[in-house]
Amino acid sequence: MSENSLALSIQGLGVSFFTEDGIARAVQDVSFSVKKGETFALVGESGCGKSVTALSIMRLIPQPPGKIVSGDIVFDNRSLLELSEKRMRGIRGNKIAMIFQEPMTSLNPVYTVGNQIVEAIRLHQKKSENQAWADAVDMLRKVGISEPEQRVNEYPHQMSGGMRQRVMIAMAVSCQPQLLIADEPTTALDVTIQAQILDLLDDLQKQNGMSILLITHDLAIVAERADNVAVMYASRIVEIAESKQLFQEPLHPYTKGLLKSLPRLGLGREVKRLQTISGTVPDPLHFPAGCKFHPRCSVGCSDKRCQGIEPELREVGNGRHVACWYAQGYETEEEIKEYESKYGKK
Amino acid sequence: MTTYIIRRLLYTIPIVLGVLLLTFVLFTVVGGDVSIEIAGKNATPETIEEIREEYGLNKPLFLSWDSQFINHFKSALTFDFGRARDRELVVDKIKRGVWPSLALTVPMFFGVLIISVSLALVVAFVRGSAWDVFAVVVCVAGMSIPYLSFILLGQYFFAYKLGLFPIFFSPDLSMAEYVALPVLIGIVTGLGANVRFYRTVMLDEIRSDYVRTAFAKGLDARRVLFKHVLKNAMIPIITRVVLAIPFLFLGSLLLERFFGIPGLGYLMIEAIGSRDYFVINAMTYISAILFVIFNVITDICYGLVDPRISFD
Amino acid sequence: MIKRRLTNSEQPKGRSLWQDGLKRLGRRKLAMVCFAVIVLYFLLAGFIYFAELIDWQVGPIRWQEEVGGAYEGPSSQNKFGTDIFGQSVLRKTLYGAKISITVALCASFISIVIGVPLGTIAGYYRGVVDEIIVWVYSTLSSIPYILLILAFAVVLRDKTLFGFKLTGITSVYLAIGLTSWVGLCRLIRGEVIKHKEREYVLAAKSYGCSGARIIFRHLLPNVFHLIIIDFSLRFVAFIHAEVILSFLGLGEATRPSWGVMINDARIELSRGVWWQMVAATAAIFFISLALNIFGDALRDAIDPRLRKAA
Repeated sequence: MSENSLALSIQGLGVSFFTEDGIARAVQDVSFSVKKGETFALVGESGCGKSVTALSIMRLIPQPPGKIVSGDIVFDNRSLLELSEKRMRGIRGNKIAMIFQEPMTSLNPVYTVGNQIVEAIRLHQKKSENQAWADAVDMLRKVGISEPEQRVNEYPHQMSGGMRQRVMIAMAVSCQPQLLIADEPTTALDVTIQAQILDLLDDLQKQNGMSILLITHDLAIVAERADNVAVMYASRIVEIAESKQLFQEPLHPYTKGLLKSLPRLGLGREVKRLQTISGTVPDPLHFPAGCKFHPRCSVGCSDKRCQGIEPELREVGNGRHVACWYAQGYETEEEIKEYESKYGKK
Repeated sequence: MTTYIIRRLLYTIPIVLGVLLLTFVLFTVVGGDVSIEIAGKNATPETIEEIREEYGLNKPLFLSWDSQFINHFKSALTFDFGRARDRELVVDKIKRGVWPSLALTVPMFFGVLIISVSLALVVAFVRGSAWDVFAVVVCVAGMSIPYLSFILLGQYFFAYKLGLFPIFFSPDLSMAEYVALPVLIGIVTGLGANVRFYRTVMLDEIRSDYVRTAFAKGLDARRVLFKHVLKNAMIPIITRVVLAIPFLFLGSLLLERFFGIPGLGYLMIEAIGSRDYFVINAMTYISAILFVIFNVITDICYGLVDPRISFD
Repeated sequence: MIKRRLTNSEQPKGRSLWQDGLKRLGRRKLAMVCFAVIVLYFLLAGFIYFAELIDWQVGPIRWQEEVGGAYEGPSSQNKFGTDIFGQSVLRKTLYGAKISITVALCASFISIVIGVPLGTIAGYYRGVVDEIIVWVYSTLSSIPYILLILAFAVVLRDKTLFGFKLTGITSVYLAIGLTSWVGLCRLIRGEVIKHKEREYVLAAKSYGCSGARIIFRHLLPNVFHLIIIDFSLRFVAFIHAEVILSFLGLGEATRPSWGVMINDARIELSRGVWWQMVAATAAIFFISLALNIFGDALRDAIDPRLRKAA
């Protein structure tokens, strides 16, 4: 894959938080790539490290207590981690933009919506005050807000949740970024509004050719909108695949569990109870040894290897990656032999 | 908005009535009959009776149209506070004392405000660093030293020992001269608690989501602080500042006492010493009224600064 | 089929907010050092109180004794020097601890006894009762604190209330206590109003809990931490208030108090006699510092709102 078709490439990223209760390794050895123009979803439960990963790309991790301890992030053929703060500021909001989960608190309550969009425009583009305001009105129109000339002078609290998120999006894409990071953009919104916002993101993507890194815990959104998916669990990536492939043929037990737990209509009398994954997500301060998922895994919870050795993320053919000893095509010949000599046939 | 103001002002009436009731209970009911004290040690029963007549202390407390409570109420409304122990009209004493007090408190107020907000901004900027910790330590230490000691030491070193300032007030000194050292001491002592408060306010705002968004847009720390954080922080700051204004009129009790400045604070101290209930009563009542009015003003300011508040 | 219930010993041990907070607090060494200092002062005060009770003539009790000439500087014999009467400044300083701590404790007690019930009743029952209580504390809070305390102290001094003659100190802590309950009352009232609408209260009501039961079993435990935090932060203010009142001559004139010592120091300093001033200031400084730091640490550790979500 040529480098020019990649918008973003994360390699071996590690982020830790040094708290008075101990070191929390929020992100460990995370690697994935986002192609130009595609929508890449990063999926996982709360606390798995996906938001931390996103904030690391923008280098917005609060420096004490957090710290990027390893790895690299390559954007536009440059390592983001090596850039000076000043250059990084030139990228934020300009080449890479981010929208957040809670539009109410993410917008400054004491400034008008227009003011905040204009701020972003004038920061990165050489435009006059009037031009910038005209652009702001334009952006509001583009994101589907009616009567933008009036709305531009309103305050965030005067708008509905869906409208505020549109404003956030307008602010984010005002400088035509190459990559948009959307951290749970629809979680705080009503279901009907969710679809509208996601459609909006789709449209903007087609217009500008921008890549979207979509962070979510909602698999339904992933199925509809994402091209490629990475599944995160307890600070690590456990599976990467094309969206369709992931849903048709999940390789990792966690992914399988997630898909099984989705409520589905119309299955008739066969399915009586929702399936769940037993146990709970581990505390980042006290991760289990070996594979982090093994205590909850139906396959590997009593396997000595799963208990002791953490499986790394490996490519298992045509772009698919997985981190599981029991995944098809994962082990090498030597490893199979070694295992059988130690523990007998599987 | 006018309806709002009127409504708020109406709410203050029960409070003022409450204050009048409180002062009455405190100074007349609990305080008791002061005629004996006013009369002095060797007074005859007739003199005492005369005094009681003069001050209306022989009237029933509550249950008549001419009761002491009604009179208390009436005199408060007309700002007729009677005479102090030395027979001077209380109102005159107050009028005389206001200016020296203001000369002291107003510079102190502005000094503390400007310096502590600036310091708090700086500290918020370098939050988490050694400077931040140092600042907090200094503030807490400053807050732990008794105010009295500060004043005493300040007076001792800078006026007495080093002779840089006059030790005591005297009428031939210019206002600037006799106010300088007390103001300086007042500012230094006031910084501790204020810097901590403003620092907390700033830090609270810095932790907000909109600050994260501002950084995500590519803004630098200075702009985020001065444009985004400060305007939001203004809301609690203005509240605190406006509410402090009524206290300016009371002067500073201890500073005036130490330096002999003839302001309202000094008046209070004297009144405490001589158990002059009339003076104390007057001061309490006036400060309550001021406080209550400025509460309303604070609410209005709050509404003007925060676009989320509407007046209906 | 009913699955077997886990016995008490088998149930996973949850950590209550309290245990979590206190554990976190214990880890902060500075806070623990401050706590030790606070305990030290309290023990000293308690010791002197006890000694007075049984008339045990230890050092600090004998503060009136002449141990040297007037205004002797610190020496090996009298570590903090003597005052104008030749009394030991060290002993006076130690005795002053008893007065300050006693006053602050009594005032705190009065504040809590008035503020918490009133706040809870106002917040829970609302309506007319609430309006009245709010009116009362709004009235009190519209008078500047120092002024209010002074006014109370002046009026209460040497009065006989319900047959008790109010001695110096009593009027002081009555004055402080009767005026300082407002903040706590407001706080508790606010919290009770907030919690009243929470689901667990509605649930309790739905299965028939009476008002009193809800208050004691459900609401109070949830505001208890606020009472503790308020107590620790106010204690310092009370000590300083006592010092100021004593300084102004409104407190106990016959027994040594730090405020009185500082008042004496006004004249003494011009004579170059600094030891009484330094002793009293230092004594106040250390307990205030310890209380401030510990109070802050306590609040950081216990207040769940301040803790960041995982």
